[in-house]
Amino acid sequence: MKAATLRRSIVIALIALWEILPRAGLIPELFLPSLSSTLLAGWNEAGEFGHALAVTLYEVAVSMAFACGGGILLGAVVGSLPRPRILIMPMVSSLYAVPLVILYPVFTVWLGIGSESKIAFASIYGFLPTMLATAAGIQTIDPQLLLAARSMGATLSQRLVRVIIPAAIPTVLSGLRVGGALVIVGVVVSEMLISSAGIGYLISRYRTILDSPHVFAGVLLVLAMAMAFNAAIKWIERKASIWQTGTRGGQSTADDIAAGALRPAT
Amino acid sequence: MQPLANITPIKPAGAIEVRNVGQIFKTTSQDVVALENVSLDVKPGRFVVLVGPSGCGKSTLLMMMAGLRQQTSGTITISGAPIPQPDPNRVGVVFQEASLFPWLTAEENVEFPLALRGVSKADRRAKAQDALQLVGLDGFGKRHPHELSGGMKQRVSIARGLVQDPPVLLMDEPFAALDEQTRMTMGDELLRIWAATGKTVVFVTHSLTEAVYLADEVIVMSPRPGRIVDHLQVSLPRPRTYEMLSGDAFGSLRDRIWRHIRKSA
Amino acid sequence: MQSALGIKLARLAIVLAIFALWEFLSRTGLVNPRLLPSASDTLVTLGDLLQRAAVRKDLVVTATEVVTAFALAVPIGALIGYLIAENRYFAEVAKPLLFFAFSIPKSIFLPMFILVFGVGFSQKVGFGFFSTIFIVIMSTTTAVESVKVEHLTVARSYGATPMQTAFRVYLPSMLPVLLEALRISMIFNLTGVILAEMYASRDGIGHQIASWGENFQMKQLLAGVVMVAAIAMTFNELVRWVETRCSHWRT
Repeated sequence: MKAATLRRSIVIALIALWEILPRAGLIPELFLPSLSSTLLAGWNEAGEFGHALAVTLYEVAVSMAFACGGGILLGAVVGSLPRPRILIMPMVSSLYAVPLVILYPVFTVWLGIGSESKIAFASIYGFLPTMLATAAGIQTIDPQLLLAARSMGATLSQRLVRVIIPAAIPTVLSGLRVGGALVIVGVVVSEMLISSAGIGYLISRYRTILDSPHVFAGVLLVLAMAMAFNAAIKWIERKASIWQTGTRGGQSTADDIAAGALRPAT
Repeated sequence: MQPLANITPIKPAGAIEVRNVGQIFKTTSQDVVALENVSLDVKPGRFVVLVGPSGCGKSTLLMMMAGLRQQTSGTITISGAPIPQPDPNRVGVVFQEASLFPWLTAEENVEFPLALRGVSKADRRAKAQDALQLVGLDGFGKRHPHELSGGMKQRVSIARGLVQDPPVLLMDEPFAALDEQTRMTMGDELLRIWAATGKTVVFVTHSLTEAVYLADEVIVMSPRPGRIVDHLQVSLPRPRTYEMLSGDAFGSLRDRIWRHIRKSA
Repeated sequence: MQSALGIKLARLAIVLAIFALWEFLSRTGLVNPRLLPSASDTLVTLGDLLQRAAVRKDLVVTATEVVTAFALAVPIGALIGYLIAENRYFAEVAKPLLFFAFSIPKSIFLPMFILVFGVGFSQKVGFGFFSTIFIVIMSTTTAVESVKVEHLTVARSYGATPMQTAFRVYLPSMLPVLLEALRISMIFNLTGVILAEMYASRDGIGHQIASWGENFQMKQLLAGVVMVAAIAMTFNELVRWVETRCSHWRT
């Protein structure tokens, strides 16, 4: 059997099992409600979920603007200037080891349990990987390209606009992908922890009343959101695929993981 | 800062004059003398090759001629004037394979130096077409570098170096990344382009065969500190042919260079 | 070497400057000290907390959960990753699925673990395991694939036994990547466990931090944040230090 066929069968089988096992009573509906009852639960409360989705999307959009805007800007500065890079990069990746979720209670004390604390937390959550990826992307630009541009008399600003930015785009995009995904996680997680609105809040509320189908409907909605974001970035990446060769080869995967830029290869 | 430059007679376009040039790289631990007291005259329209082992400063010398690096001491003039910064109207530079912008098409790459200067789109396109035609890449302008072979990429690089019609073309190991056959073909191509345009060419290479095959003059350099140890005139007739490679004249020139290099290595 | 020392001093200066700014903002009242207790107060509180038996117990609980989840996730993940990397057909089937699993947010499945395990040790360990295993699988696959075919060919041509190949080629080639993977896995693992504790738990340092937050106990809350951050960074630097020690393997 071809690998792709087997893979597809596995996926279909998993979806089928999701329906069959709970229905047959092999898995309690509390642990895993069947696919149909999950979808039905979501459908019946479409208004409530829709409203929650709007809140979450708003928070995600604002956080993403902060996280990605700030991350790209600072990453570009740090990546292109050697002194700050040597000074700051190890500190930043050390910071990366801290489970940032412990900051969320601080933000709730400072900003309350409304959207502000979620936006603050998710912005910081997505900021680091975007910054690290951008810095790495700028750093790995082939120095030959910059030398060539200089030999043709390119000024500093021309080099920035015509060489550095286009050459850094693929890495920045992968940083955006990781950063953006973390922003979504950050918003949903903080909604799950303490909040009064949004999908994460719905998931937690239904969880406390042990209403599994609604919990799973919320989880599915978040999954769909994350996948849609992923697909959008992938689409942009494909559009920009010619750029992929703009950086020096041989950057190891370990570095990618370290930069938070590890991403699906397909 | 250059009173002498004012009283030297204006050299014809394409002449290169290197006078007592030294280059010292400062590192935190010590100063490294990359070049010491190098002097060299290249007459307009000549094909000059710099050879020498790694670290002899041949690429550094080329970068200084391109205005990409300033010498620590001495003077360098191109067409009679010093070159404090890169000037693509006077000097075109061709690097190794990697220096084409991967996100631009072949013709956009060739147009790049013109675009920097704000030349109009139509003018740019016309000049790029001419340059691509000169290097034998007519019809490949819309391709991206990753769709071109190694030899074709280097043709694009040469076209980019020539597009502003500078009298001098500097080439830093341009064929080093190519396989042997492509390398030979590109050598012939380069000689054809050189004969057609009459440019002054300064060419850096590791390959002794390539050096003798292409050059009017070969400059042999040695490291620690980088300096010129020999200056050979290659009197082989032109056009150069493959048969010359096995001739006595070719062999003795090659041997003479090899002896210098073996001594310094 | 002098410049390396200079960099270290500059970094220290940056950290001190941040603490100084924190102290300054709070002491001068530019920021309400009730919302931002001064750095010195926070550090004093941190010292007090570390003396308290309850807090120590929480730290032990968290450490136990982290270690358990890690001890489960690493061998299992490494085995799966190895099998995937070694079998081309299996790899082709499983890799896209794994990449997918890797790219989706794990945190939203936290309620599932509570529904299944209830609130307690197994829920937190389970979620820590779940947060970690995918990165372990992926990193192991990368590590195995980082072994150069040429090196294997050389070993084979000199008649190395499978044992010798494993210890003399695979292990040294993979070690740097594996160490890096362990470091990253630990970050995921710690985040998973702490999140699980903050979400629903009766003990553990994550639970403590969450409840300090709910009760507006800013001094304790900030001290807790500093404590967890310090622990995470120390572990991270430790592994990194080991990494650089064997970095000569990596080319």
